[in-house]
Amino acid sequence: MSLLGGSALQRTGKAVRSWLPFFVAVPFLVLIEKEIAQNPALRLEYAFQNINHIGIAIILAVSLNLVNGLTGQFSIGHAGFMAVGGYVSAVLLMHGPPEDPYRIFFIISMLAGATAAAAAGWIVGKPSLRLRGDYLAIVTLGFGEIIRVIIENTPFFGGAIGLSPIPHRADFAWIWAMVIITILVAKRLRDSTHGRAFLSVREDEVAAEAMGIDTTGYKVRAFVISAFFAGVAGALSGAFEGNLAPQSFTFVRSFEVVAMVVLGGMGSITGSTIAAAVLTILPEYLRALANLRMVIYSVALIALMLLRPRGLLGTREVWDYWRKRRAVKRERKRELTEALIDVRKASIRFGGLTAVSDFSLQVRPRELVALIGPNGAGKTTVFNLLTGVYSPSEGEIQVLGRDTRGLSPHAIAHLGCARTFQNIRLFRELSAFDNVRIACHHLTHESMAAAVRHGALAAQEEKWVAERSDELLGIMGLSSRRDELAKNLPYGEQRRLEIARALATGPQVLLLDEPAAGTNTKEKGELMALIRSIRDRFGVAIVLIEHDMKLVMGVSERILVLDHGVTIAQGLPREIQSNPKVIEAYLGEKYAKEHAAQIAAAGGPR
Amino acid sequence: MIDFLQRVVDGVSLGAIYALIALGYTMVYGVLQLINFAHGDVFMLGAMMGWYASSVWTGQSRNPGIPSALAVTLFAMVVCGVVGLLIERLAYRPLRSSPRLNSLITAIGVSFLLEYGGQLVFGPNPRAFGILPHRPASAIAGISIGYVDLVTIVTSLALMFLLQRIVFHTRMGTAMRAVSFNPSVAALMGVNIDLVISFTFVLGSVLAAVAGVLYASKYPSVHPLMGLMPGLKAFVAAVLGGIGNVPGAMLGGLLLGLAEQLVSGYTSSSWRDAVAFGILILILLVKPSGLLGRGAAEKV
Repeated sequence: MSLLGGSALQRTGKAVRSWLPFFVAVPFLVLIEKEIAQNPALRLEYAFQNINHIGIAIILAVSLNLVNGLTGQFSIGHAGFMAVGGYVSAVLLMHGPPEDPYRIFFIISMLAGATAAAAAGWIVGKPSLRLRGDYLAIVTLGFGEIIRVIIENTPFFGGAIGLSPIPHRADFAWIWAMVIITILVAKRLRDSTHGRAFLSVREDEVAAEAMGIDTTGYKVRAFVISAFFAGVAGALSGAFEGNLAPQSFTFVRSFEVVAMVVLGGMGSITGSTIAAAVLTILPEYLRALANLRMVIYSVALIALMLLRPRGLLGTREVWDYWRKRRAVKRERKRELTEALIDVRKASIRFGGLTAVSDFSLQVRPRELVALIGPNGAGKTTVFNLLTGVYSPSEGEIQVLGRDTRGLSPHAIAHLGCARTFQNIRLFRELSAFDNVRIACHHLTHESMAAAVRHGALAAQEEKWVAERSDELLGIMGLSSRRDELAKNLPYGEQRRLEIARALATGPQVLLLDEPAAGTNTKEKGELMALIRSIRDRFGVAIVLIEHDMKLVMGVSERILVLDHGVTIAQGLPREIQSNPKVIEAYLGEKYAKEHAAQIAAAGGPR
Repeated sequence: MIDFLQRVVDGVSLGAIYALIALGYTMVYGVLQLINFAHGDVFMLGAMMGWYASSVWTGQSRNPGIPSALAVTLFAMVVCGVVGLLIERLAYRPLRSSPRLNSLITAIGVSFLLEYGGQLVFGPNPRAFGILPHRPASAIAGISIGYVDLVTIVTSLALMFLLQRIVFHTRMGTAMRAVSFNPSVAALMGVNIDLVISFTFVLGSVLAAVAGVLYASKYPSVHPLMGLMPGLKAFVAAVLGGIGNVPGAMLGGLLLGLAEQLVSGYTSSSWRDAVAFGILILILLVKPSGLLGRGAAEKV
């Protein structure tokens, strides 16, 4: 990429700089390590031994937090992945060279173990993550148990007795270096566009799809990454303790990690880290209560859910309190001249009910089309057909020249068709700014690896996304609400935030589902101006579902009337106003007949 | 052939127990869309209570008469019913309007509380169990049907029939179905949702208690962690049949029991646990709504 610029040397320099925290920390770790080695008293110190256990616990908790906290899925089989990583790397180490002065073979075996765990994560996650979170819980719990049973029954893995002796390769410096890497990776992922994609999955999957985010893909990715680091923790644990036994990978272990994540705060990396440390040390000092430990954990978990459901730190981080605001500008456009949306004779049936039949619609660039009709006429169903939430029983739908049958909602969003929802579906627990930033997701190119490396492209894109989001918030008059949680905005502003979010996906067609619902007359006037200015400024075509006739007649260039799923009229606003069929649909046959003369004279129902 | 039929009989007997547990999962899921993780532990509690009652009342836990066996089962049912009610009241009801993840975490918390609380009270070691009177196995055409298997199958069928009557032919059953379709509309129509949900939990827990006693009679040892595997498998059975669907849970339980006995009979018994999860992954891939379930797209 030219954006990266410069020579290979410069690039290496940047790569090194981006991992600065790691390179600064390692010498210190090695120093401490030396100190412990020279001072046997220190090694025997009880608390000091725990430090390594804490490190492993942190890796487990932070990695599980990617799934359970950030992505809002629920895995309770982390110990299973840890076991896979631990056993694979242990077997390699035991059959590897007896001496490994530079630990190269250790690194290889650790990576092999972690990769095996990630592969297991993919196999488990792929089928179960298509569905909602609770299935994943059961599947991972089952997986963890099965892995343990397999290990116990396989002599190659040492059976119930376990593997030993595993060459002692990992110690303080190794474990804590991996802790730093895990935290850095988790933090960078979280703060990147991918992290926002994870969050959007947690907040509202339907809305996330509509914003162009491949929800299943992101769930699987989070899960695989998390399994990978669980494998790392397993490998470290084996090479540190010198032995592995299946008893240490029971679901109790998984449950401890879950407790750490929940206690620390779902989505908070610092929270997980602190909770991991506390929950590792605490039992050591409460030996007298050893029998009670699990009981206390479970009661604490229930109490926490009842009293403070997001965990002690919530989604916040310790470092989350200072954030700067950034300036505003930049634009991006692409033009097409033929029909952006081309629906031909589409029908959809739910059981025996035909919700929409023989629906045809062409939307040309920069056109303002309104879709009206009484309640239950099938207007929102049309939007759901256009955005791929439903697929048509018959007929053909093309969006920007592509047949959308079989495409998932996020793929259609990528084509350039964005929507708002009649029943507002913002990511409620996220700020207005983040809501818009998530929608920029599919316009970014940085890979997950790049996000983790924190390279130049990623940084530039982050900046661009932030600017773009600020600009959109500004256009929608929401600048002052930038850092407010979406759920705390007043209703009208929530509707405008939905429009900003839809615009952020860079659409060519914008589908607005009742944008004026619940707003007052003054706001309606402003909204009318706003819709026009959005069209002019962004050059998008807009399809509008609306009940407010003043707004519809004032803003739209073409109107389509649906009744009971059938298109009963279409044409210019003036024609629609005096169309007897429309009047009948809205006001009833009787009224239309009785007031025929009056209507004809007035030129419409209003 | 005889071999095969023998396994079918074993499978049906095991499957009937799974079905009884699965009914609890599926009914609770139906009304609350919650996987009641603690259900497997209510099943465990039923078995433990059976053991407790029989060892206290009959002095020795082996070979009591039929009346005391019934009394023991009844005791387990009452205790589990009350515990089920308490779980719902104290742990799930306050969270009914919060995100599903929170209820799920709470459910796991309750499950662990029952398991480790049970270990605290009863100790972690397995106890010998055997409340059904010992009778020789009867043999029909060369297939031996153990007395326990016979009782299990007959009892389960009777209970499932009864449940079917309750769900489809009583006012409470109608209310349950209404709540599972749409709780808020059901409430507007005058259905007392809290009562219905409590009733569902009690019903499921009582069935789990019977399943616990039957299971413990079949595999005569009980311990506080015994609920995990049967609980998981019963959940798989519920998913297999279509979660939320009462006849589906029965079908799923029977199929799972059969599959497990056949696979472990013809290959090796160490695969029996893998069967259930193989089936789960397969059903999630092919037909996530289950055999009798209907898929429902989320309303946008």
